[in-house]
Amino acid sequence: MDTNFLNVKNISKSYPIKDSNSFVTIYENVSFSIDKGEFICLIGHSGCGKSTILNNLAGLNLVSGGSISMQGQNVNKPSLDRGVIFQNHSILPWLSVLKNVTMAIACKFKTMSKADIESRAIHFLKMVNLDDHIHKKPSELSGGMKQRVGIARAFAIEPSLLLMDEPFGALDALTRGKLQDKLVEICDKTKQTTFMITHDIDEAILLSDKILLMSDGPEARVAETVIVDIPKPRNRASIVNHPAYYVIRNYLVDFLVNQSSLISQKLKTGSLSDKDLPLTVDPLQLKYNLENNIINP
Amino acid sequence: MTMTDTRKSILLSIGLLFLFVFIGELVTGDGSRHKKNLTEYETLMGLGEKQAHVPGPIEVAKLAVKELRHPFYDNGPNDKGIGTQLFFSILRVMAGYLLSVIIAVPLGFLIGMSPVFYKALQPYIQILKPISPLAWMPLALFVIKDSILSSVFVIFICSIWPMLINTAFGVMSVKSDFLNVGKTLEMNNVKMAFTIILPAALPTIFTGLRISMGISWLVIVAAEMLVGGTGIGYYVWNEWNNLDLASVVFSILMIGIVGMALDAMIAYISKYFDYQE
Repeated sequence: MDTNFLNVKNISKSYPIKDSNSFVTIYENVSFSIDKGEFICLIGHSGCGKSTILNNLAGLNLVSGGSISMQGQNVNKPSLDRGVIFQNHSILPWLSVLKNVTMAIACKFKTMSKADIESRAIHFLKMVNLDDHIHKKPSELSGGMKQRVGIARAFAIEPSLLLMDEPFGALDALTRGKLQDKLVEICDKTKQTTFMITHDIDEAILLSDKILLMSDGPEARVAETVIVDIPKPRNRASIVNHPAYYVIRNYLVDFLVNQSSLISQKLKTGSLSDKDLPLTVDPLQLKYNLENNIINP
Repeated sequence: MTMTDTRKSILLSIGLLFLFVFIGELVTGDGSRHKKNLTEYETLMGLGEKQAHVPGPIEVAKLAVKELRHPFYDNGPNDKGIGTQLFFSILRVMAGYLLSVIIAVPLGFLIGMSPVFYKALQPYIQILKPISPLAWMPLALFVIKDSILSSVFVIFICSIWPMLINTAFGVMSVKSDFLNVGKTLEMNNVKMAFTIILPAALPTIFTGLRISMGISWLVIVAAEMLVGGTGIGYYVWNEWNNLDLASVVFSILMIGIVGMALDAMIAYISKYFDYQE
């Protein structure tokens, strides 16, 4: 019996290649788990199937093999228990900011009165500092504001698991920083269980309890789990002073630059076996977890 | 002082109008023949009467003022005001057009939702679409046995294709991101159709509605020339038979003005359903 909140077991995804009988495997043997209240980031190069994994978790896209279960329930279709913040915000452009949020709330809390729905929406829009813009159409908002509407919409339905697909990827650095701070603040307050995909290493360290690292695709794997042992609450300005910060950061950079392709080569040649993956790494002590029974790097 | 671009274009428009009127007056005559004195016999033979001629702008304008002063007069079946004729034409266009909306929009919606349906109906749509609506007229007259209803049918058959194709296209090209929003909110198919797909596709649907309205107005003139009785198409043809070219030119102008108004009407309504990303 699994005690974890979310369990991902040996999932794989493959697509048929057009005009042939063979398949291309995006990733395989991917296993990990998420505990309640944990913030997990997934990092990997483009094309390793990060977004596909997120869509698998959301139930928007089904795995080819393996299983995903959340709170003992098999994940095979989208659910209001799993909120998604999309990369391109996906705010409905024909609805006002407020209506975008109330529509989502009305879907989740079917018996709630109109007035309650509206005040709940305003509460969550206030949380992302958009309460002055509730009657605007999305086209009147900046990119960062649109993404904030997406955040408000996702939190307003109180999902058990929040999924974020590079939520700040399309934003400029300043806006991204502000939104990261906002997200840290909200997550500290709500203890939201979150799974997030990002390209941004600093963002991952700032937000995560654990960072999952993927090797290069095709046939990508979740190769390592890096524990981010920096006490919370964190903030962008002071986290860089923590002794662990640069150790973790350098470790992640090294993984993305060297290890991710090396590991996928090793897997191909057979010098690394799936039963050894994922390694659990605590970069602060720079030693591999002994129960995984791996030699020092 | 500098002029705004709007002002410049208004001035240019007015300038062009004067130019057209001027050239129009230059190249057209008033239909009178040689000025020499006529013998009594020639006068009796009508040689002093004005000849049929292409009217100049001023002559048309005079007629327009006269006609528009009493647009709904009725002096029997062959002499009704321009307003009455236009009213009948608009009525037929509206009847055929609305019938088309009722059928094409829901059907296009279903086609857009189902790729199988879309592919299955493609050959029929592709074959039926290029048929000139007037080619249906004999069949319509025979089956419906009523000239007015037949012209309504012709409007229906010509306006259905742009609506159908645009609706299906609009529904098919709803961004998958929007659909995913609906899916993660656990919307059922009906809710998805009305809260996500329809509003997302409406601008494209309205493009189809606008094209259809344009085509309908083009076709009604030709249809009424064939079936006769009432309507602006019949009016034009009737005035041609009377060799009253000033009335012909006047009604051509009116056809243009009403067509523009119909298009503006759809464009105005569509503004309420438009959105910017």
